[in-house]
Amino acid sequence: MQAHATTRSASGVTRRGFLLGAGGIGAGLALAGCAPLGGSSSRPETITFYVSKPEVIGYFDDVIAKFHDSQRAIRVVRDSTSNMSANFVRNRPPDLGCLNYNYAMVSFVEHGALTDLSDLPEKDTINPDLWPLMQQTADYPGRTSVLPYSVTAASVIYDKALFAQQGIEVPTTWSAFTDVCERLVRAGITPMYGTYKDNWTIAQGMFDYSVGGMLDVPATFAALDREGTSVGKGSAVSFEEDFAAPVGRMVDLLQWHQAGAASRGYGDGNLAFAQGKAAMYLQGPWALGEIAKTNPDADLGTFPFPATDDAADNKVRVNVDLGLWIPEASRKQEAAREFLSFLMSPEINDRYNADNNGFGVRKDSPPVSNPALRGMQDSYDDARFYLGASQLIPAEIPVANYLQSIAFGGAPAPQLRTLDGDWARLALRSAA
Amino acid sequence: MSLQAPLRPGTTATGSVRSVDADRTAGRRGERSNWPVTILLVLCTLSVLVPLYVTVTMAFKTTSQAVDGNAFSLPAPFSVDGFVQAWQLTDFPRAFGVSVLVAAITVVGTILLASFTAYAIARNWDRRLFRWSFFYLLAAMFLPFPVLALSQVKLTGLAGLDNPFGVAILHVMFQLSFSVLLFTAFLRSIPAELEESARIDGASTGQVFWRLVFPLLAPMSATVGIFAFLASWNDFVMPSLITSDPALQTLPVLQQMFQTQFSNNYNVSFASYLMAMAPAIIVYLVTQRWVMAGVTQGAIK
Amino acid sequence: MATTTTESITTAHRRRRGGAAPRLQAGSRSRRRVDPLFLVFLVPTLVLFTLAITLPAAMGIVLSFTNSVGFGEFRFTGLTNYVAVFSDPAILQAYLFTIGFSLVTVIVVNAIAFLLAIALTSKIRGKIALRGVFVLPMVISGIVIAYVFSFLFANSLPAFATALGFAPLEQSILANPDLAWLAIVVVTAWQAIPSTLLIYIAGVLSIPGEVYEAAALDGASAWRQLVSITAPLTAGYILINLVIGFKNFLNSYDIIVGLTDGGPGTSTTSVAMSIFKGFSGGDYAYQMANATIFFVIAVVIAVIQLRATRGKAAL
Repeated sequence: MQAHATTRSASGVTRRGFLLGAGGIGAGLALAGCAPLGGSSSRPETITFYVSKPEVIGYFDDVIAKFHDSQRAIRVVRDSTSNMSANFVRNRPPDLGCLNYNYAMVSFVEHGALTDLSDLPEKDTINPDLWPLMQQTADYPGRTSVLPYSVTAASVIYDKALFAQQGIEVPTTWSAFTDVCERLVRAGITPMYGTYKDNWTIAQGMFDYSVGGMLDVPATFAALDREGTSVGKGSAVSFEEDFAAPVGRMVDLLQWHQAGAASRGYGDGNLAFAQGKAAMYLQGPWALGEIAKTNPDADLGTFPFPATDDAADNKVRVNVDLGLWIPEASRKQEAAREFLSFLMSPEINDRYNADNNGFGVRKDSPPVSNPALRGMQDSYDDARFYLGASQLIPAEIPVANYLQSIAFGGAPAPQLRTLDGDWARLALRSAA
Repeated sequence: MSLQAPLRPGTTATGSVRSVDADRTAGRRGERSNWPVTILLVLCTLSVLVPLYVTVTMAFKTTSQAVDGNAFSLPAPFSVDGFVQAWQLTDFPRAFGVSVLVAAITVVGTILLASFTAYAIARNWDRRLFRWSFFYLLAAMFLPFPVLALSQVKLTGLAGLDNPFGVAILHVMFQLSFSVLLFTAFLRSIPAELEESARIDGASTGQVFWRLVFPLLAPMSATVGIFAFLASWNDFVMPSLITSDPALQTLPVLQQMFQTQFSNNYNVSFASYLMAMAPAIIVYLVTQRWVMAGVTQGAIK
Repeated sequence: MATTTTESITTAHRRRRGGAAPRLQAGSRSRRRVDPLFLVFLVPTLVLFTLAITLPAAMGIVLSFTNSVGFGEFRFTGLTNYVAVFSDPAILQAYLFTIGFSLVTVIVVNAIAFLLAIALTSKIRGKIALRGVFVLPMVISGIVIAYVFSFLFANSLPAFATALGFAPLEQSILANPDLAWLAIVVVTAWQAIPSTLLIYIAGVLSIPGEVYEAAALDGASAWRQLVSITAPLTAGYILINLVIGFKNFLNSYDIIVGLTDGGPGTSTTSVAMSIFKGFSGGDYAYQMANATIFFVIAVVIAVIQLRATRGKAAL
């Protein structure tokens, strides 16, 4: 549920973006430490465990308590407020980190600041389809720097009651999807609820779904990386050419959103959708909790966004919501590894995902528990998923702002050309 | 235009009040209060009170009502759940205590250091060292924080100052330029003749400063103090970077948890901000009284 | 009494200088020897300041000539980052927006705050209460301000405008690429007026009451008093507020992110936003170069402001 691309990942409106060298900033409870037990012959080792996702802090406190009950040698102290960049600058990072695995982790991984976890037995239990995802975000050759802990999947959330009422079936092709929208319009129902004021919802919704459904995301971005400074009109791959079709698809979707979407934000969208004001909502599972605040009994489902007329192309957008890592600078790596193993044990890991709308990361993980998310289980099991393109574009390039211009009615081509220009400039100064 | 300054000794009709601030005299002398201006001001206060109303009502709403999109509705049902959650989640007493400590050090440190420096500069303007120091401090005020940030993290880490004390020291340093600017401007209105006559009477520079000048600086000390307090009290960027031990974190940093990109908890966060706002308002009211008192006292001296 | 004599001397001083404030030096004598206490007052503070501010700044500026990501090893890359900054159209647009927006806001804020200061120090009722109210915007957290004003602009204002039939405001002003900046000016001014006001109040309070009384005896109207007494004698404070205010608005971040996140599109992206946005590791050194350039520009603008008002209020 946490940090995706945008610099506002863990907070709404403040300067945290700048601090996002780390992906997990100053949000969190005070230390929930456990005092070392007295009377033991050898002093227990204390390790710092960093987790800042606010919704699950209480959950992890319980897990830490269980760990303490199960053994006496290691004490875990939870940290949710220290700034990760600052920690690395001071050379005192946490012993075990548990963060959203996104571009914010890139600099740590690529500078070799994280240890290699490939010798851990847990590593082999991980669903092998997830490793390519990890590598797309960041990679240090020859190392497994991060173990995935929880994956969230996002696609189209739909109101089952409204669909049933109109006798509509879940569409599996683009033509079927447009038919559904037309029928809804004729019935006086808004097909999709738009929240363009919060530009990240456009990026992580319409844009990512269209791109993921129509392009080979890893190949495209690998090619863009290779193109580097020469990306632009006429290059082998460019935003202007290759993204024209998906962005065109996104523009097609605009007509089926409610009027005045430009002034509606994420909170407005959750509220309206909970009140049945629209049939579909292009959001991730994090919105389910928000919707439940208004309407806990909403009957919702999900289905992969059909960007093309070939049903085999239907995929879901995933991201590694939590990943575990141990930094090189930690002086308690053994103890940290023990706690990592504890966290990765099936009971703990599966229970986490079951309680927090996550998809399992191990080969033998059970299916997702929330009935609303079952519509995505097949896609996930068959590895028909992709990382959101907006997450693979570095935060230095304000892609969400450009997409907002398009959603407000601007022409797509100039924005895509700007993307090319930004990408080339970024490649130029990164290569220096 | 000719200004006839009243050269007669003895108090003026307004009781030697050194300013046009007629708090103590309005009504007493039978002078008419300026009603049109008063009414205009009251109308202007709406622009402040309306947002405050929204904040207060939101703090007392339940979670479901907090997201219902009606900012102006009254809480129904009335709930202190926001306050309870905020209190527990931030470990409010401890965070409050840390914030108070940091702010107190910042205020005292800023007022003392800035008044010392400003006095030295103001009374030695003809010497290069002091004049250039002034412009040095002034120029440093324009440094954007990002340029300094990570280097300060490194240095405080090395110096063992990655804790609230380091934060307080940095707060004082950041406030220094602006406070020196304010003090030097204010020092202009304190005539040199006062100090000269005290010196002729045998007072040392130190005594002149402590016994004569510093008390006269009271109104500006109060202003500098309130700015320093607010800058320190509401600051969250620097403490989140500098303080490494989460148990010693200040209130604004801990309050960030309520408002994430994906989850709205307005009732909890607004309750938390209200609890944090109260001391700031109290400090402001106290310093404003000090400004009043300082002004009249300075006149009588 | 000493006071009145003092005040009269001060006034005479001011008259002699034709309305300009007295210079900062102590009278007209020049001292041959500096009282060591003055050095004790100055030097330790300077040293501490240099260690806490100048040294980190120098380190940061040095990093702008490298490819550092904030931690770990780095390589010197000379002027690469600076060249890159100057060839980035997004940064140029951010500077243009930020400077224009700051100009408008500083004028609005100072005009309103000055008038409010006069009003709040005149003979009105409920002075303490009113002054207490007007400081509230300074005390309220930025997130609250962003939420409240987002709501007002997106819902209340359009409702108002629709009721009155005033077309341009019927859509949320925040969604209008040409007008969104006005909303940001309003909210920034709302938050900035209290601090400006406090300084003006302190400034107005430093003017002796006798000056106004004498002027009133001479038959000067309230407006005349404002223009010929209050304004010149608070000129130093006006200058402070203009210079500091402009610098603060150049650094605008919280409010813009809260209201529009630099949108619609990138029409309200400020320089501070682009610096912070690119701070996630990869672009650290690049944004340090941007920040250094920003520092230089801010200082240049301040120097221009000081030079332009040299005659009226020497610092």
